[in-house]
Amino acid sequence: MSAPMHPIEITLNGEKVAFEVPAHRTLLQLLKGDVHLDAVKEGCGIGECGACTVLLNGEPVNACLVLAVEANGAFVETPEIENKSDSLSELQQAFIDFGAIQCGFCTAGMLSSARALLKRTPQPSHEQIAEAIAGNYCRCTGYQPFIDAIAAVAQARTTGGYKASVLPAGKFVGGSTKRIDGVAKVTGSAQYVHDMVLPRMLHARIKTSPHASAKIVSIKVDKAKAMPGVRAVLTGADYTYKLGLYMQDKDILARGRVRYHGEAVAAVAADTLEQAEAAVDAIEVTYEPLPAALTVHEALAAEAPLVHPDLASYSFMKGVFFPQPGKNIAHHQKIRKGDVEQGFKAADRVFEFKFKNPPVQHVPMETHTAIVQAMPGGEVEIITSAQSPFTVRTLFSHTFGVPEYKVRVRVPYVGGGFGGKAGIHLEPLVYCLSKAAGNRPVKIIATREEEFNTLPSRQGLESRIKTGVKKDGTIVALEVEYLWDAGAYADYGVNIGRAAAYSGAGPYCIPNCKLDSKVIYTNKIFGTAYRGFGHLEVLWGIERNIDLIARALGVDPMVMRQKNLLKVGDTTITGELFTEGHGRPDLCLSKVAEAIGWDPNARVQKPVKVGSGKVRAKGLAMLHKAPAMPSYTSCSVVIKMEPDASATLLVSGVDYGQGTYTTLAQIAADELKIPVEKVRVPWDADTNFTPYDWQTVASRFAVMGGNATIEAARDCLNQLREVAGRVLCAPPEKIVCENSQCWVEGRAEQKLDYKKLVLGYTYPNGNSIGGPVVGRGRYIAQGLTNLDPETGQGRPALNWTYGAHGVEIEVDTDTGEIRLLRIASAFDAGKVLNEQQCRTQVVGGVIQGLGSALWEKFIFSEGRMLNNSFVDYKLPTAKDIPAEMQQFFIETPHPQGPYGARGIAEHPMISVPSAIGNAVANATGVEFFELPLDPERVYLTLKRS
Amino acid sequence: MTELRYERPPSLEAAVALMNDAAGRAVVLAGGTDLQIKLRDNDLAASLIVDIKALPGLQEIHWAPSGELTLGAAVTMRQLYEDARIVTCYPALADGAEVVGSLQVRTRATLGGNLCNASPCMDTAPGLIVLGAKLRLVSAKGTRDVLAEGFFKHVKKTLREPQEICTAIVIPAAAQKLKTAFGKIKRVRGHDLALVNAAVAYDPEAGTLRAAIGSAAPTPVVTPVLSGVNPKNTVEFGQKLAALALDVVKPIDDVRASAEYRRDMAGLLCRRLVSELLGGQK
Repeated sequence: MSAPMHPIEITLNGEKVAFEVPAHRTLLQLLKGDVHLDAVKEGCGIGECGACTVLLNGEPVNACLVLAVEANGAFVETPEIENKSDSLSELQQAFIDFGAIQCGFCTAGMLSSARALLKRTPQPSHEQIAEAIAGNYCRCTGYQPFIDAIAAVAQARTTGGYKASVLPAGKFVGGSTKRIDGVAKVTGSAQYVHDMVLPRMLHARIKTSPHASAKIVSIKVDKAKAMPGVRAVLTGADYTYKLGLYMQDKDILARGRVRYHGEAVAAVAADTLEQAEAAVDAIEVTYEPLPAALTVHEALAAEAPLVHPDLASYSFMKGVFFPQPGKNIAHHQKIRKGDVEQGFKAADRVFEFKFKNPPVQHVPMETHTAIVQAMPGGEVEIITSAQSPFTVRTLFSHTFGVPEYKVRVRVPYVGGGFGGKAGIHLEPLVYCLSKAAGNRPVKIIATREEEFNTLPSRQGLESRIKTGVKKDGTIVALEVEYLWDAGAYADYGVNIGRAAAYSGAGPYCIPNCKLDSKVIYTNKIFGTAYRGFGHLEVLWGIERNIDLIARALGVDPMVMRQKNLLKVGDTTITGELFTEGHGRPDLCLSKVAEAIGWDPNARVQKPVKVGSGKVRAKGLAMLHKAPAMPSYTSCSVVIKMEPDASATLLVSGVDYGQGTYTTLAQIAADELKIPVEKVRVPWDADTNFTPYDWQTVASRFAVMGGNATIEAARDCLNQLREVAGRVLCAPPEKIVCENSQCWVEGRAEQKLDYKKLVLGYTYPNGNSIGGPVVGRGRYIAQGLTNLDPETGQGRPALNWTYGAHGVEIEVDTDTGEIRLLRIASAFDAGKVLNEQQCRTQVVGGVIQGLGSALWEKFIFSEGRMLNNSFVDYKLPTAKDIPAEMQQFFIETPHPQGPYGARGIAEHPMISVPSAIGNAVANATGVEFFELPLDPERVYLTLKRS
Repeated sequence: MTELRYERPPSLEAAVALMNDAAGRAVVLAGGTDLQIKLRDNDLAASLIVDIKALPGLQEIHWAPSGELTLGAAVTMRQLYEDARIVTCYPALADGAEVVGSLQVRTRATLGGNLCNASPCMDTAPGLIVLGAKLRLVSAKGTRDVLAEGFFKHVKKTLREPQEICTAIVIPAAAQKLKTAFGKIKRVRGHDLALVNAAVAYDPEAGTLRAAIGSAAPTPVVTPVLSGVNPKNTVEFGQKLAALALDVVKPIDDVRASAEYRRDMAGLLCRRLVSELLGGQK
């Protein structure tokens, strides 16, 4: 039974090519699957995301929505057409120059859209550019860099064409070194797991649960096993391995019962994806629905159905997490400081408010994907789109009892992570499939639908905040309850419940604090880390709370914040002393307030009416976050000096778009005194070759990797000095290293090129000394402690980064639509290591935060997720961004940061909803307590108030 | 699905014959932006795809000397809103076409496809309905023209028989005397489906207003004709048309919006569009 084949001929990137295709084959499948033009990406398969944009007869189309047969006789241009043998196209160069590249997964599709635009409209307006790329989703950049790059190319074409920008000479750290992965990403040569094909590779698909909670009565797989091309069919009954990050609570495939709609119950590996899909459809599962706990309140009720009746038998990280068997509580974090009852007694006023955040998704443009091969002899090869190769290895090894040295984990280019790829997800299942299929390599790519409702999300949160204040706005007591909707499995959720607890009062001095953060199992998609690790959620409540109280007291919200912000000598709610090295939250606030023209003397911010039904107003919000990580977190870097005096920096933290490899190259170049072009930081991170790093999460990679890089580079220099000293007859400490050369202090006339030293020095008579220079650097977090189980007191944070946003918005009160007009953001970065990357991180984070503020939410009906696709899970597009985004960086050095730097990767997203929520209250006089502030919620709330 | 065949007939006769011979097992492919998703989801019970883009005239916009406008069924959204005369004469159609999906989708999506797919939230139907447009349906049994207004029977169900091919959409010359406008409520400014959309036609000679509203019932709904319109009383007649609209919409709660929001927005769109048409502001 083979499909009828249709002969076609297309002109592909200028060359006539003939194919034979079945009618149902899409142009995307042809270009990517058959021709391997891998700049073309698949992000959704339904024409919503634009990752597969190619030009069909010169016009942009989604290749996933075009049948290959339809393209017969047509001209097809993929992004690769921009590639020239020895230089970049204008658009490619401009994308690099303007930092319009992060993970790189949307880049080529954008290039296609931009190319078509400039052909059709050589001098487009900013609106026309936004319209032209609005069909291309990007989750990293916030779109503005693309718009700027395209505008610059159009402008330059009126005066002879776009030329690469030239950076000023000087130190690399602090400058705007262009991304070292820029060329690979704009040309589409960067290889992602999505693109990879191995010989004899099988394709896997999963069958998922249609119920939120049900007993699995039977699974019939005989039909599926007999189908053509099928090599392995697995169900949960085949394995007893338990998986989990902090709490081993998850089966590889559901066993006995399903705990959420979308949970994987069976899997197939087959020769082709279509065969695997057909076999999955042929698997028959019989369920018996069970009562479900769908909200945190249902889950906490007496007699609530237990999501994990066997919780008592699970292994978990003891002393750090405190699950409560017999209940749906995966972890309860307590913070106790001072005497909160006394505090409330001393207060002039006491306020209590409740806030709510829905579960949302990370939406990396590359969905989760992995290729795994069980090797003969028990070794395992894993290639995965993950954030942390060593964590994948450790957890994998722990689950299967395979020793770590037998497991190799490779992480190539990753199309965005945002926390969703931080732990271990599909790798164990694919390993089991490979074993069952006779050790053939097996690849799985999550569909976009599975990315939404099978793979983890951000947890929902319900907050109750009770505040005791003096008349002038000074906070004297704070009682907080956070109820985290963890979903069916604990994953990172328990650690978010912990981290967001010790940060859970905001960047304020709270003399008396009682905070309870409970992570609750429910029958929903499970939560995990998502950029900000719980902080966007808790600061939605905390920062709205400040504005609510300020309004009630008649105190300006900026003034109230200034009164309560942490300052030198204060202690945090876990008893950590606030020092000068902590930074300047106050400056962050004043900077953004000044930028948006906030008047702190106004007391009540007056809205401005602009036309029928539209009002404008401003809002402020603070933010803070520290890395959430074990106290012993460490990182290492190896620098190999190459024969040409270049350097190769090996590190296992992953640059999945945030740009850290470029930052590390800058640091290494400055330290080694060589040009940054001569520092190579190769993809992949690979447990076989790159040295240990804990995880790429928590905005800690530039800090910890930066410190390790400094140490490794200095180790190289010491080795160079030692040999140069012997050659030049001077003690090593008298050797100067500059411009890839060594000389003795004060004797610059006799210089030794690094090239003569990096492999060892050879005297004219042939005698040799030294040897290849390999530097080693490491860093382990210093001075951190576990938190006291009863009081939460301790030192959990390596470095706090403080920040603030100021926004101006417009509300259309007739429709409920909110437009962000402008946003100013400030962070105490300690030291800006790469200015362009800091700015583009902020722009991208702000727009991701805008998504959480205005649109993003999962919608459930009786536990079924209703919006598991881009049709109804709406992301901000290029048309949804504000006209003006400003970034400010304050540089108060952190004593432990590289050159004083702090992490700022997650922070831009945090408190964007809070600032907007505060502005909406200022615009309309109506208070909002629940996210997102989508048009319908805003309209209906205004209507009822 | 593996038995699926594809044909791109060069003539209408050949296309009609293919559809006839397939006896309901054939589907028409125009832009493919909806069809392809059904294929992906294994939701297409067909053994033959008949691509109508090569049929003569199917991608053409033709104005007869009389003023009658014939739009080939495979005319794309972009052709509609990039055509200066359509933008001037029939803004309700052009503006609707301009907000269908993303640019990539509008490059492919066709007028015939948008209508025959009959999703309640299609953006071209309200404009065509108030313009009095007809769809031309051709099969072995012959050719018939049906009014857009009665074409839609339910969600994804129309008067079109399985063997019939929609070859053209015809807007009568008389529509040129109408002033029309289109509006759409959606969640993001980027591509999104309509939570509710509407087109309003104002006949200055007759002093009448009429609205068609989409995404507020299983099919687009139409208000009765509001007559005696005084263009100076923009607000009054906007409210009157909105009241008529609220009598005919039957919105539901779904994942995109509540019935209440849809109702209120249907009224708002009527008021805004009347204000735009009578007050001349955009």
